[in-house]
Amino acid sequence: MSLFSSLSVSASGLQAQRTRAELLVENLANAETTRTPEGGPYRRKDTVFSAEPVASPFGSVFENEIGAQGTGVRVSDVIEDTSAPEKRYLPGHPDADAQGYVAFPHINPAEDMVDLMSATRSYEANVAAITAVKDMISHSIDLLR
Amino acid sequence: MLDPVASSIERYMDLLAARQKLVTSNIANAETPGYRTMDIDFEREFRSMVAGAQPQAVEVPGLPVNHDGNNVSLDREARLLGENALRFNVAETLLKSELQTMREAISGGGGTT
Repeated sequence: MSLFSSLSVSASGLQAQRTRAELLVENLANAETTRTPEGGPYRRKDTVFSAEPVASPFGSVFENEIGAQGTGVRVSDVIEDTSAPEKRYLPGHPDADAQGYVAFPHINPAEDMVDLMSATRSYEANVAAITAVKDMISHSIDLLR
Repeated sequence: MLDPVASSIERYMDLLAARQKLVTSNIANAETPGYRTMDIDFEREFRSMVAGAQPQAVEVPGLPVNHDGNNVSLDREARLLGENALRFNVAETLLKSELQTMREAISGGGGTT
């Protein structure tokens, strides 16, 4: 039944948007972080989404037979911002260089907040899709009553 | 199955389910770069579905494309999501009454369970 794989498609959307929201929150939390295990300031992370066919564990073989394949989404890559860090003149800071400048992450909190809103809305859209499909499934089950 | 009407309804519901799957795919990929909105030509597919063919997903023409090559319109998908669910309810009600008729015939019209 193809309605069940619709649930997998929406679930992949939920998963992807959740991952994105987690990274955005991480960016916001580390907007002023000057030390990381890799050395240097924190670097802004972002997700790359790519479309891919979903395989529901049970129905995959059958679904492949009947076409109209659902296309889910997945986080294919997490990219780090490679732009130059922002230098601020703070001579008293323990991470200041010889000239007294400290490298801060190149993070614009407004940009991350807007992306976070977008991720939240997309998450909600996927939840709405799940609700609609779930209603269709339960109506089909009602046929048997 | 039961009779031509019931099997038409059944195919209608199959097609709605296939379409709903494409709508959920479009929503899930609303922010995937390069993804294009997919849908089925409902009327054409319904006619060929009755003949026993499988639905073909096609790209939807005429939607404005984003700067990243994505052309999913969440408004369009939200409308279709609701519309499909409502159509499915209608079909389900019709099929239910068909089954009810069949049940009455089986029990000889002597009341239903």
